[in-house]
Amino acid sequence: MAITSHSFCQDCTLRLSGHVEDADTKEKLYAATVLLKELNREITTDENGDFVFGQLCAGEYTLYISHVSCDPVEQKIRLDRNRHQDIFLDHARKTLGAVVVEARKGIPNTGFKQELSGQTLEETKGLSLAQALSKLNGVSMLQTGSTVSKPVIHGLHSNRILTINNGVRQEGQQWGNEHAPEIDPFIADKLTVIKGVDELKYGSDAIAGVILVNPKPLRYLPGYYGELNTGYFSNDRQYYASAMFEQQLKKLPAFSYRVQGTFKKAANISTPHYRLNNTALQEANFSLTAGWKKEQYDIESFYSQFNTQIGIFSGSHMGNLTDLKNAIAASRPDDIYLGKDSYEIGRPYQDVTHRLFKIKSNFKSGIGKFHVQLAAQHNRRQEYDIVRDASRKGAQMRLAVLTLSEDISWDHPANGNFNGTVGISAMQQDNSYGGRYFIPAYTSSTLGGYWIEKWSKHQWEVQGGVRYDYKNINTTRYPYNSEPLSYNFNYSTVGASFNAIYKINDQLKVNTGVTLATRAPYVNELLSDGIHQGTGFYETGFIDRNTALVPDVKPEQSFNMIAGLSFNNSKNTFSAELIFYNNIINNFIYLQPSPGDTMVTVAGTFLQAKWKQTNARLTGIDLALNYHLSKQILLTSRTSVLRAYNRTLNDWQIGMPSDRTTLEAAYSFNDRGKFSGTYISVETPFVFKQTRVPDESKHGLQDYKEPPAGYVLMNLNVSTTILVGKNLPVTVGLSGTNLLNRSYREYMNSFRYFTDERGRNIGVRLKIPLEKTL
Amino acid sequence: MKMNFFSKTVIAAGCVALFAVSCKKESAKPEDNDNEIITTVELHFTEQGTGSSLTYKWEDLDGDGGNAPVISEIVLAPEKVYDVQIVLLDKTKTPVEDITEEVEEEAADHRFYFIPSGESNITIDDLNNDSDGIPLGITSRWTTAAAANGSVNIVLRHYPDGGKAANDLVSSSKSSTDADVTFSTKIQ
Repeated sequence: MAITSHSFCQDCTLRLSGHVEDADTKEKLYAATVLLKELNREITTDENGDFVFGQLCAGEYTLYISHVSCDPVEQKIRLDRNRHQDIFLDHARKTLGAVVVEARKGIPNTGFKQELSGQTLEETKGLSLAQALSKLNGVSMLQTGSTVSKPVIHGLHSNRILTINNGVRQEGQQWGNEHAPEIDPFIADKLTVIKGVDELKYGSDAIAGVILVNPKPLRYLPGYYGELNTGYFSNDRQYYASAMFEQQLKKLPAFSYRVQGTFKKAANISTPHYRLNNTALQEANFSLTAGWKKEQYDIESFYSQFNTQIGIFSGSHMGNLTDLKNAIAASRPDDIYLGKDSYEIGRPYQDVTHRLFKIKSNFKSGIGKFHVQLAAQHNRRQEYDIVRDASRKGAQMRLAVLTLSEDISWDHPANGNFNGTVGISAMQQDNSYGGRYFIPAYTSSTLGGYWIEKWSKHQWEVQGGVRYDYKNINTTRYPYNSEPLSYNFNYSTVGASFNAIYKINDQLKVNTGVTLATRAPYVNELLSDGIHQGTGFYETGFIDRNTALVPDVKPEQSFNMIAGLSFNNSKNTFSAELIFYNNIINNFIYLQPSPGDTMVTVAGTFLQAKWKQTNARLTGIDLALNYHLSKQILLTSRTSVLRAYNRTLNDWQIGMPSDRTTLEAAYSFNDRGKFSGTYISVETPFVFKQTRVPDESKHGLQDYKEPPAGYVLMNLNVSTTILVGKNLPVTVGLSGTNLLNRSYREYMNSFRYFTDERGRNIGVRLKIPLEKTL
Repeated sequence: MKMNFFSKTVIAAGCVALFAVSCKKESAKPEDNDNEIITTVELHFTEQGTGSSLTYKWEDLDGDGGNAPVISEIVLAPEKVYDVQIVLLDKTKTPVEDITEEVEEEAADHRFYFIPSGESNITIDDLNNDSDGIPLGITSRWTTAAAANGSVNIVLRHYPDGGKAANDLVSSSKSSTDADVTFSTKIQ
């Protein structure tokens, strides 16, 4: 075919230039091999990942691009004039999962970063965002049952993690323990956790780090690509389907668009010995992206909507102290709350909608690159309680928050070995509530600015940055039978970070960093006052509405030192990554269960949990090891250890994840016939009992129940890609979690007071890609 | 609250940007609760024979949290029999809402339990029944013995799925708690 088209060539002076990037990290790939199959001409990319073929005739060609750490890619292109082609290579399985210290491939360094992409991300399809992220070393989960989960990074969660959804700082109602991030994981092409200098772009308050949920860049290659992901899980009869379609029209090369949608529905979940009533969930999401790209500028707009309804296990929703104490003391929930296998969601449940619209533009000029982003988000959260009167249909707690954000940044032109970014960002927020009180109505505004510089030369990569934010919060509560209550707050917060990487030799690299982060207290920490839907505990903030005295709640301030070491042997069959951190947090804000205190209400007496402030120190180690026993067999281990100390109490800090290690063995089969990328992997997480909790004999009652025992699980993953017909590679995956159907409870799940965790869960998944390049 | 002009303008612009979803906002009105608040539990005592009446109440006007509830002590005479009527009110509403009426309408799904402490020297019986002949307890009979100090726990249980039966205990898992209040008592 190529030969025939050559015979028509009149003009043989065409140029094909291109650029090769890592699809996951966006790094320019140096020394990638680019083969023009028809002419058997082969060249390698330069330091910028660029390549050029000159003196080509018009016609159709096949490019074969390979790189040492990536899966090779074959691409057909048509050449009728000079053409530039960007090529994205995917990392080979498991070579990236645990990258802690980024390899240097000719771009400014990226500090501390961990990523989930490619096949490791595919294994998490159908799971929640937090469940997917917990595959990363050092990341665990804070759960309310099996359906609501939030990520925990190095022991810290909620407001200390900034979640960046497609470039926009997610602002929902993420303060609550049972408020999961309102994001469809299917929009993500990769999930990244970053710590250090780059987090300053998003806020001075990222004490735990930043999670980037990034879709893949829009398609700027004429043609279309579509993908269907679908799957089923046995435990809760969950099924999901997520479809994506993107296209670039040949006649309108500057324009590209993508539509994407996900639907997910699950019935009540089952533990090994019983099924939990009212734990079903449903989710329906969609997003639209449109872009316009020219040489000097590009504009992209994005709209997404996330809708979910999640049932709350009624056996955790106790009316009063006696019922609650009985439920906590019992080894299993009362039978009345068990055994119904249904997709139906009844009260109590939560209904959450999150909408995001953003428009972003980048433009180049002689004085650097400019980025402007405007975003609007609206989050509506409704909690439906059990009601006395069945005729009442409404929600008992309603929260609506609108957030607007404006970000402008400037990348100055490279100056010697320096690259840098200066930015300002502003955010306005308006929260309102109706029904039952939990947090007040408020308006807040934030104004901040940052400056980041990166320098690299020879073996060194050094970066540093500072950020300042001013935040103002005005709150109002409208109580019964009395005048509105207002409290106003102003906070100035500073963040700063410094990071240095030194490459000792090709095998050994050291990465060290210090980060200062300051976080203003959130409205819920200051002013919450009410019963938590998920657990039936009465939660109270710092400010007591009956006393005129308003306590001085200081911003949380963290001083985090991190040191990382990465090693790989010369044959690249063994690699190790070690991270050590020591995070000193002053004015650390946490929720202390307070079983000694009770709250008298007309519905009886409730257990309390109170917000407290202390000085803490979190010290920990993450260690990841990879060993290629042979070309087929890969052994990995991921270990994370945390020692969290309450320096005011002089005892352990409550509510921290226990030590855990995961061992995994994967066997990759050689590609054979129509089968490729076939592997099987067995994973065994060992989770130790959390024994480091405050001593009740010294400090009085600290928790409602003793931490649960440690546990060992067994999980399985099998995947293969089958070539259907000539060019339809269908990926089929099979997964099994808790294969041995063990009964266990996890310390970081608030339902550990009431129920066991989910039992055996077998899943199948299917990915069907459809591509046509014009 | 004060919000400057700039913020108002950008918020309006943001609403338009969110595809004119009208940014539904919860109105700034006093807290309400679809599952109305019971702020007040009143006990109306009528002494048999004399017809003299007494009223005691449990009241938490600002709802859960905030100020602690105000609970009056029930003081009764020894060796007497009282007819007692219970009244539940939601005083957050204007006019005040009588929740007892609602309990009466759904009598088959509700039941009051009266649990006097051993030392109270009070016996409570003769609860009125719902239309199925199962105890409801909006009215009851209290009989006092010799002078004593104690307490009475009053619990309103709700059967969301029905199924109320005469021998159900207060802790029955068929029902959940709507109200649970405790009065201290004195017979003198």
